[in-house]
Amino acid sequence: MNAPEVGISTSAGRGIFFDGLSASRHEVAVELAPAALRLRAADGTILAEWRYDELETLSSPDDVLRLGRAGNPVLARLEVKDPQLAAAIDERSAPVDRTGRIERRLRDKVIFWSVAATLSLLLVAILGVPLLASALTPLVPYALERKLGAAVATQARASLDDHRTGTVFECGNAQNEQAGRAAFDKLLEQIEAAASLPWPLKVMIVRRPEANAITFPGGHIYVFEGLIKNADTPDELAGVLAHEVGHVAHHDGTRTVIEGAGLSLLFGALLGDFVGGGAVILAAKTILQTSYSREVEAAADKYGITLMARIGGDPRALGTILIRIAGTTHPGPKILADHPDTRDRVAAIEAMAEPVPRRALLDQTQWASLKTVCARA
Amino acid sequence: MTILDTTVSTAQTSMSAPARMTRFLGRGAAFWRLLARGAVMLMFTLGIYRFWLTTDIRRYLWSNTEIADESFEYTGTARELLLGFLIAIAVLVPLYSAFFLLTLALGQMWSALSIVALTFLGQYAVFRARRYRLTRTIYRGVRFYQTGSAWRYSVYAVLWWSLILLTLGIAYPFAQSQLERFKMRNTFFGSMPGRFEGSGWHLFLRGIILWVLAVVPFAIGAVATILAIDWNALTSAAAGDDKASWLENSGLAGAVVFAALTGLWLLLSFAIFYPAFQTMVLRWWVSGLRFGEVAVSSRLRMTQVFAVYARFLGYALLFTFVVSVALMLGALVLPNISGALDATSEEIVTTVLVLGAYVATALGYSTIYQATVKLGLWRCIVETLDISNSAALEHVTAAGEPASPVGEGLADALNVGGI
Repeated sequence: MNAPEVGISTSAGRGIFFDGLSASRHEVAVELAPAALRLRAADGTILAEWRYDELETLSSPDDVLRLGRAGNPVLARLEVKDPQLAAAIDERSAPVDRTGRIERRLRDKVIFWSVAATLSLLLVAILGVPLLASALTPLVPYALERKLGAAVATQARASLDDHRTGTVFECGNAQNEQAGRAAFDKLLEQIEAAASLPWPLKVMIVRRPEANAITFPGGHIYVFEGLIKNADTPDELAGVLAHEVGHVAHHDGTRTVIEGAGLSLLFGALLGDFVGGGAVILAAKTILQTSYSREVEAAADKYGITLMARIGGDPRALGTILIRIAGTTHPGPKILADHPDTRDRVAAIEAMAEPVPRRALLDQTQWASLKTVCARA
Repeated sequence: MTILDTTVSTAQTSMSAPARMTRFLGRGAAFWRLLARGAVMLMFTLGIYRFWLTTDIRRYLWSNTEIADESFEYTGTARELLLGFLIAIAVLVPLYSAFFLLTLALGQMWSALSIVALTFLGQYAVFRARRYRLTRTIYRGVRFYQTGSAWRYSVYAVLWWSLILLTLGIAYPFAQSQLERFKMRNTFFGSMPGRFEGSGWHLFLRGIILWVLAVVPFAIGAVATILAIDWNALTSAAAGDDKASWLENSGLAGAVVFAALTGLWLLLSFAIFYPAFQTMVLRWWVSGLRFGEVAVSSRLRMTQVFAVYARFLGYALLFTFVVSVALMLGALVLPNISGALDATSEEIVTTVLVLGAYVATALGYSTIYQATVKLGLWRCIVETLDISNSAALEHVTAAGEPASPVGEGLADALNVGGI
């Protein structure tokens, strides 16, 4: 036993060789020549000679070192089970990676760059997507915008309309509601005339208790029953309507749809659904779209105030009703009610609103019948 | 020279003793480690790491599977999978956009059409992904490969799966035997052609009892639910406002009971019958595989598969307990931290934390599933294999070229991946 004399015990050994041409198994003697690994068959013929610097470690069970020649289209393989021989080969060959050290270093690089890629994707999601959406929005033709709006509105209606009470979703069509709708139309006409949009608005009053209004692409607007109930004066209602018309004028609905599609693409398609549920993507989208909405709302507020001044309404009324709504009804997580903190917003409205000559937007009877536009049949 | 002598003699004894032809060599701990690290990385890279994790998993499974003293080798790389995925995105993004615009411009019909098209594309991807995996599988220095048209397979597969749905599963054995035949007659180990000899009737006769036990009570329950509802009363009462009489007359209460019973049965039968069904199908499938003269058979037993799922259940319950405790602690600590923030950032921080907790939990369950069920089944299948005529392997010559990873990419993007 000369085991301590490493030089002698590890300059040769045995292995199993597959020549890559057939699946037959060759028991070979492995010689560690100065520059190459030499494999000899039982009869002494040399089967292969591989230079140390072209060796490649291949995946194998833990106690086997499996070697091939890097870049060789022929899948010749040498398998070494003797740990001392394996160590000796590892010592002589730089690319042989018996302990997985080289692999680990490569992997660290992968991890670093994946995290970097993730961060840059998040950056694109936060900053790039809104910019891109703003650039694309003006390119959408009106006909398509209108169709998109109808589709989104139908979808929203499916989740808003609860069907339960046996009443229709839309207010203003029944006998005792028509006067209210007429008054509403009068209010709307004044706003629409002042706004002089290149296309008509399509406003629907819907039977929902929340004090809210939604604008969809292409001029579709839903005004909720709860908003009309909460408005004390025609000016307050007109203020909210003018704000929504601001969204229409700025194509905010269309931009939101494009942003949503862009985020879905970033998070859904590019990153893959790695936990098997769209919940994460949906939540990420909600957070990001909420963060986009601050400036959008501020711009719509500004537009609304200008519009109110033009029709002779009270520009401050929007602030008044916002405070009332925020004080009374705000159920659910605030993150979903995509409006910036109401206090800051109202302060901004107060600062922007300048005193203007006022006139009544509706007379007393008109306002009274508008308040009962959702009287139910 | 003593060392050389002993190696030679052990090699000889292992050659002469035909003790066990197939073994699984891997230790579970190594696999757990690999998966746990992968799960953490998936979370921090929002999933980009999955190409590396998939490659690691395959390397582990392949190289620890030993047949006739030789283990398999997986030569695929994460870089290839990433490339395949990028190509798939390049193909799919315009396709998705086109379908979106067509649906918008021409109506809902196009949305249904897009689902059909993506179903075909999914099956196409399944076949091409199989080609990629086979050509990255090396055994004894010889490559596996696959021929055949992926589109033909896709048409075949979609037709058979439609038939399975239409017959409530009766067609499943025949579909499986035909699809597996298609796959295997296009599969080669070097010069050695594969084929599949499992008979659909064989599986049908074994499985029909399970089918009757699982599907018939379900069908009866569903019919009873529908019959319990008096549809005329339901529609006429829905128009009115009298809800109490509406509930009574329409028989909705009875229907709810029937529906609940049916659902309960479905859940129970799934828990009991699924492992039994899986054992049956796996055994049948493995025993039908042939490569030239080499035949395979399986001794897989139902108790082994139940044990695999029991282990999964145990770990999953333990993990659920840990997560609940962590959530309770989090709920106690969180308000103290968030007090310092303003309202909007508080909302965002909370949402991000909740999201993180959700992802971590989902990844935890997925890790447990892979380490118990996936590895457990793989190990069981390998260890119950019997191989006959393995001497024929000596005469196989090399053939086949590595195939592109596009199929893997499409399968990943369309969520129809295999291993």
